[in-house]
Amino acid sequence: MAVIEARGLVKAVGTGRAARRVLSGVNLSVDAGEVVAVLGRSGSGKSTLLHLLGGLDPPDEGEITIAGERLTGARARAQDRIRLGHIGFVFQQFQLIDELSGRENVLVPTRLPGAPAGGVRRAEALIDELGLRAVAAHRPHELSGGEQQRFAIARALVNDPEVILADEPTGSLDAANGATVLELLAHMTGRAVLLVTHEPEAAAIADRVLTLEDGELVGAGAGAQRR
Amino acid sequence: MSATPGGGSRGRRRRFGDALRMLARSPRRALFTAAGVLLAAAMLSAAVVITDGLGGGFARASARADLGDLIIRFDPESARTVAAKLAALPDVSGFALRSEITSVGVRFGAHRSGTAVAEVLGPGRRQGFAVVAGHRLPAGGAPDVLVETAWAQAWGIAIGDELDVRGLGPERVVGYAEGPDDVGYPLGAPRFYLTRAQLVARFGIPTVGPVNFAEVWLRDPRLVDEVLVQARDESYGLRGLKFSTRAGVQVLISQAAGLVIDLLVALSVIALVTAAVMLGAAARAEVQRRLRSIGIRRALGAGRWALAAGQGLEVALVAVPAATVGTLAGFLATHGASGRLLSLLNEPAPGAGLILPLLGSWALSVAVPVLGAAWPAWRVTRGPVIGLLRGTDVATSRPRFPWPARGGGGLTGLGVRLVAARPARLVATVAMLASSTAFILLMIALAGTLSSLETDPQELGKRYELTAAAPAAAAARIARLPGVAAAEPRYELTAVDAYELGELVDVVAYPRQLSRFEAPPLAAGRRPHGADQAEVGVGLADALGLAPGSALLLELPSGRQLDLRVSGTVNSLAYEGLVAYLPAAVLLRADPAAPEQIAVLLAPRASTATVSAEMRRIGFPPTLTAGAVARGAPLVAVLTTILRAVAVLDGLVCLYALLQACALTVQERRSTVAVLRACGASPGAIARLLSGAVVTLIAPAAALGVLAEAWLLGPALARLAAGYASLDLAPTRVDVLAVLAGLALAGAIAVWAVTRRALAEPVLAGLAR
Repeated sequence: MAVIEARGLVKAVGTGRAARRVLSGVNLSVDAGEVVAVLGRSGSGKSTLLHLLGGLDPPDEGEITIAGERLTGARARAQDRIRLGHIGFVFQQFQLIDELSGRENVLVPTRLPGAPAGGVRRAEALIDELGLRAVAAHRPHELSGGEQQRFAIARALVNDPEVILADEPTGSLDAANGATVLELLAHMTGRAVLLVTHEPEAAAIADRVLTLEDGELVGAGAGAQRR
Repeated sequence: MSATPGGGSRGRRRRFGDALRMLARSPRRALFTAAGVLLAAAMLSAAVVITDGLGGGFARASARADLGDLIIRFDPESARTVAAKLAALPDVSGFALRSEITSVGVRFGAHRSGTAVAEVLGPGRRQGFAVVAGHRLPAGGAPDVLVETAWAQAWGIAIGDELDVRGLGPERVVGYAEGPDDVGYPLGAPRFYLTRAQLVARFGIPTVGPVNFAEVWLRDPRLVDEVLVQARDESYGLRGLKFSTRAGVQVLISQAAGLVIDLLVALSVIALVTAAVMLGAAARAEVQRRLRSIGIRRALGAGRWALAAGQGLEVALVAVPAATVGTLAGFLATHGASGRLLSLLNEPAPGAGLILPLLGSWALSVAVPVLGAAWPAWRVTRGPVIGLLRGTDVATSRPRFPWPARGGGGLTGLGVRLVAARPARLVATVAMLASSTAFILLMIALAGTLSSLETDPQELGKRYELTAAAPAAAAARIARLPGVAAAEPRYELTAVDAYELGELVDVVAYPRQLSRFEAPPLAAGRRPHGADQAEVGVGLADALGLAPGSALLLELPSGRQLDLRVSGTVNSLAYEGLVAYLPAAVLLRADPAAPEQIAVLLAPRASTATVSAEMRRIGFPPTLTAGAVARGAPLVAVLTTILRAVAVLDGLVCLYALLQACALTVQERRSTVAVLRACGASPGAIARLLSGAVVTLIAPAAALGVLAEAWLLGPALARLAAGYASLDLAPTRVDVLAVLAGLALAGAIAVWAVTRRALAEPVLAGLAR
């Protein structure tokens, strides 16, 4: 069953003479338990696509449905609720909050109003599962890049979302740490994982690999096609 | 934007254009900066107006009026005799004599008074008052008078109008006068000036007659103390002597205004520092945002000075108009009330003399934010250019002091941590909010106490409700009236300390039941029991070094002396604490002609109106017992207006400080807010985060403010205002709660406004940082 459904997504960036259409009618469907990698040159619109699917940016045209709930056209509060309950983000720069310890960063989504119950229990389990117990009380600047990204992944998973959107998750990591992170993303059972990357190693863990070229997704499995 | 603006007028124009363009790109930021500068400038200029007005008022007034170094009041005496005594004094460069006639009836339109004071002037130009409008009194016998400005304003008397003076008929007002030796109407009696020559011409009275007022000018004013001692020696034969010096009057006025001025200056400096810290932080955040652009310009050859100047110029373009508007606003908010206050004190407004201090405050309001904006750019360009291109932090984003890593990870707790990560800003904002809270609480307490003193004679220890001008023999008759619990003669006169002849003492005496009629709280010792015992005010005890058991020797206007033993000291607000209460028999033995009246104590639940009607019926019209500042109601009103204006400005500065603190937190932690929103944080969640930030600022500020008022400012002002009595300047619980509610409301407004602003920014903009 498709957890991510996108139809006819169009998005232009820039204004005036600098205006450029980066997505020209993109269709995408990702099932639960599927890992999809989107490749493309720098500036091809990979991250833009991820942002549209996460409700961080509205498309100019098209429709998006996440876990059966329509994201496009929904009010801002409804979009917040969809992100809180159904989507987890993993960013290239980790985006951990400096003032909080690793554990507290993981707990942040569970403290938001409307978060599903059992967040603390899941957070503790994830910290153990990702091997972060020993450094859970450390602040981000006291952690290695790999540890920071693992905390970021724990944070993305803590509300038990159906969708994980990962934007260049290994872009700021060395090879060893990158491999660990990819390993984690590859084994997220039951979740739809959309991975935006330009690294072949990252694409290697995907069930499907799509390429964004001239604003369109091409490659095996794009749109209705599956590998 | 140009990389190397270059020198000369072309370069300056280009820099100017660049700065304008940058401002136009972020109008909201420019508006916020303008608001901060405007409020700080308004606060500063309000402080300047009040400080310059009150602080320099007496000096200006005495200089303009050519006030004498020594002012002497006495019972009417031949002018020749007085002139001879004054001429015998050393170092005298001149003197003026006049008759001060009290209880003169005057009428103008619907206004009338029976307590006016006519100042009948002798010859000479040097008189110790200033003619501030119209012209001086002519030498001839025309029915012309000068009236005091404050009185003219209160009654609407214009130059050229006719004033009806009982016994003289219509008198033409030819000008306004101000004498700084006394306060104006209605704090004092209505006062007008006329020449003796007029009375000589119109009524044929002798050219030289009795006088009761002398103003003396010395060649060397520093010798006033020596001359004062000599004057007391030479004053043999003069009764009812009261000496005052110019310096003495000035000390009284400075003491009263001193703390208010100090508070205002402190508050405006704190407001300016807070605004500077906030604007500096905003500038730092802006420099951080433009780091790459600055790096590119540096790489292309732009100098550090040019880059810092560019940042400063950008803020200057906002600060100059904002400081101008703020300075004008502060001036307009306080100038009118300050002028009215000075007019009541018979002191001139600073006029053009205010321009320079206001220009100074304006310059400060511009310079502080401009330097605050230029500094981060200057500082960040110290490092290598490559660092700028890579986006080196202007300031570390890490917490600067350890915070427990465990617990408090909720949104409110996160808000607390975000604010605590900037300790300097936290301290400045808390200090600003705390001092504002304390200041506002103090003003509320002061207004409450003034109001109580004004309306409640009990505050002065007076227990009688009515008095009547009647002989002592009438007391028994009044006491028998329905509704009267007791009536006794009350004697009151002014004596002088016989040891030093320097301190005037008000002597109050009752035949039998002193403590029943008048009982200020006992500070030490006990109530008088023996015939030679007296209780004295703490003010007098302090002035003369008296304690229970001490000897007190008073010289009465009759020339006789009273040898007394101090039984106790009392906290009396009346007569500034320079008072002695004693049995009437002792007083009457020394001065059988001591002025008397009947004090009337009402029975419980008796009506003042009914008893007053009864007393009028038997021929003794009563007067209601007044509080300490009954005639000072207009002064209280003016002070309230000034304090309210300052409090409003203060409140706005508080609101700005909270808004700016929240806005800066969001601006500096855009990525944190963006991450929270990406995780699904609703507007309520962001508001909760900011609530934590605001509570971190408000909670300690509220506690410190309340404590500072209770332990520091309140006692300090009470001591200065009335060192001779215990004055309770503590706000009520309701007042405290109201001020705290106001602070909380300001915090809620800040949270609401900044949450809206934070949500208006796209999540991606924050994540991209």
